[in-house]
Amino acid sequence: MASGQLVLTVLMGVFLVGVAAFLSRVEDWRSYTPLASGGGGGYGEAGAHVHREKPAGITRWLTTVDHKDIGILYGTYGVIAFAVGGLMAFLIRLQLVAPTGAVVGNEFYNAILTSHGITMLFLFGTPIIAAFSNYFIPLLIGADDMAFPRINAIAFWLLPPGALLIWAGFFLPGMSGAQTAWTMYTPLSVEQTNVGVDLMLLGLHLTGVSATMGAINFIATIFTERDDDVTWANLDIFSWTILTQSALILFAFPLLGSAIVMLLLDRNLATTFYAVGEGGGPMLWQHLFWFFGHPEVYILVLPPMGLVSYILPRFSGRKLFGFKFVVYSTLAIGVLSFGVWAHHMFTTGIDPRLRASFMAVSLAIAIPSAVKTFNWITTMWNGKVRLTTPMLFCIGFISNFILGGVTGVFLASVPVDQVLHDTYYVVGHFHYIVMGAIGFAIFAGVYFWFPIFTGRMYQRTLGKWHFWLSMIGTNVTFFAMLFLGYLGMPRRYATYDFNSAIAPLDMVTLMHQAASAGAILLLIGQLIFVWNILQSWLEAPKLEDADPWDLKETDQHGREFQWHERRTATALADGGEEEEAVTDGGEVVDDDADDTSDD
Amino acid sequence: MEEQPGLSDQYRTASPWPLLVAVGFALSEVGVFLDIFPIAVGGILLLGGSVAGILGESGYTRRPWRTLAFLGVGFAVLGGALVATQLPGSSVGLLEIVGDPNGIVGRGLAVVVGGTMLVVAGAVSQAVGRTQGV
Ligand code: HEM
Ligand SMILES: [Cu+2]
Repeated sequence: MASGQLVLTVLMGVFLVGVAAFLSRVEDWRSYTPLASGGGGGYGEAGAHVHREKPAGITRWLTTVDHKDIGILYGTYGVIAFAVGGLMAFLIRLQLVAPTGAVVGNEFYNAILTSHGITMLFLFGTPIIAAFSNYFIPLLIGADDMAFPRINAIAFWLLPPGALLIWAGFFLPGMSGAQTAWTMYTPLSVEQTNVGVDLMLLGLHLTGVSATMGAINFIATIFTERDDDVTWANLDIFSWTILTQSALILFAFPLLGSAIVMLLLDRNLATTFYAVGEGGGPMLWQHLFWFFGHPEVYILVLPPMGLVSYILPRFSGRKLFGFKFVVYSTLAIGVLSFGVWAHHMFTTGIDPRLRASFMAVSLAIAIPSAVKTFNWITTMWNGKVRLTTPMLFCIGFISNFILGGVTGVFLASVPVDQVLHDTYYVVGHFHYIVMGAIGFAIFAGVYFWFPIFTGRMYQRTLGKWHFWLSMIGTNVTFFAMLFLGYLGMPRRYATYDFNSAIAPLDMVTLMHQAASAGAILLLIGQLIFVWNILQSWLEAPKLEDADPWDLKETDQHGREFQWHERRTATALADGGEEEEAVTDGGEVVDDDADDTSDD
Repeated sequence: MEEQPGLSDQYRTASPWPLLVAVGFALSEVGVFLDIFPIAVGGILLLGGSVAGILGESGYTRRPWRTLAFLGVGFAVLGGALVATQLPGSSVGLLEIVGDPNGIVGRGLAVVVGGTMLVVAGAVSQAVGRTQGV
């Protein structure tokens, strides 16, 4: 123990010295550190460092505060998390092809199930949305950068330590992955003594802090940094959804953070916040968790809805139908989403009058969701629809969102929920939305803006393969899950070797195998996606056309593509510098912008 | 060198501090919560140092070393308060409790130590800077 402390101390010391060395290498911080300020006037010399380039190589990525670079960082991070979470999901599906469990033990199954959920929601979902918003919100509203570029970078850099902590249980000695499920219900999550749970909770806390910092930044940016000709009346739909999302984050995530801290205190310092009897009991955790948890699902779905509302009209040759109502419905969903959380608790024995009121609000939230759906459909109606890959993903989004939404409405009805709660029906419901809708909108965004990210075009045939494999895979996998729910299959089980007298075991097995078959299609599709993106980024020919989607023809050439056009024009005039199209590296920046005269 | 149409160049587009603030925050959180003394102290040093750095860089404060010392005072007071909650009201049990810290006292002490080191670092550097500057 003592030697362990010593080793840690030495490691920590070496690390800090390393940091100091890194700092003295990358930063001439006399340029802003009035170290000699006692003498007075020293600061004037610092202003002599006028021209300062963005550093090259890896240092550039470690130190960037440029919103586009940070967007790319978020994107890379999100894709890695998607791969990790996806492989976990695949392992889950592999396990369930046989009733007794095909590959892993029950404990490990519980651990990857937990980690899959948390990875997808917190390490993939929120960050990948932040990738788009960081890159495009400043461009769409005509801002120079985010309101607080450095806080923006801090928010991103909190995520890698968060991910390491969340996954730490799997690879640190003497620990195992948390087996709490993503909802971390007490008393289970208090009782598990595994330190992996503490690390996971700390990691979650970090990602929450990160999301909150990002949200504050977006609110400040959209309110204060808009160009003069960007008004509330002509603010684009994506920015509206990000603004609403940020407001939801601001109310939801700090609450999750506090609830997690209380859970950590219960686990480590013998407090009794959630203790049965003297504390708030298990219901307190459920209320706090779902007061965060339901808004969280809209935090995840609103920006993808914004992406679809933004991209779909551009391939329908028409403006978004009922733009105002799409905005209003976004705001309505934002408000209502805080009033429905107890629909996750219908079977906990809460007061029936409470249940009825939460049911009413939950059914009401379907109205603004339907408004959006009808607006998307009417936008395509009689339009000149071009079935490009991003458009296909938008249409797939609508289709899957309808299935996910309708099943949600059923679950919101108390009597139906009492039958289907905690079955695979719920799993099917939310996966139609998180994979079938949110995932699809993200893909649409990646393909639509690929020319801006890279200055190149993706391979169209591979894009189509990606779409069809994902669309069929999603529907096979998750429709089978809805059906499993009707068969009464409970969720989160590592095996299902039930007594065939009480369960239609053959049918259940068949449906599980169907779900796994769909997962194979999904996996192949995503491999194609990653290959397509990487190979096209590295090897596709440079795109000369700054308007690859012919948006000018229908007068839908948005601010981001106008910016792209200016950039392409400048780059070509300069002789087309190769790297420049990715993001603006190596630019010359005036250093004295934030200089102030000395006292 | 490409010009950035539509983008002002008023921001420096690189800063070493955000990464360090984030890592410092993560380390101090893990160290303090899990009661691992070296990580807690190191994390607080990194957090305090990088917060002072980023504030100085962005022009919110003009004397980073003094900021550093102030942050150190803040941490020391916080940690001290944590320790104080465990002191028996009447007797002078401080030494005993420091000699054999319980979970809360141990965590509080780590914060106090980290904070004190920041204060020392800030004060010394400020003094050195002053003598060199004159
Ligand atoms: C049309 C609006 C929606 C309604 C009325 C609705 C309703 C419900 C209900 C009642 C449940 C609880 C089922 C149960 O556990 O018994 C549920 C679960 C869930 N829903 Fe929805 N939902 C809607 C939209 C969404 C959206 C947009 C998302 C995701 C972005 C989502 C994600 C989830 C998730 C993740 C769960 C499962 C939580 C758990 O692990 O227990 N839902 N939904
Ligand atoms: Cu909900």
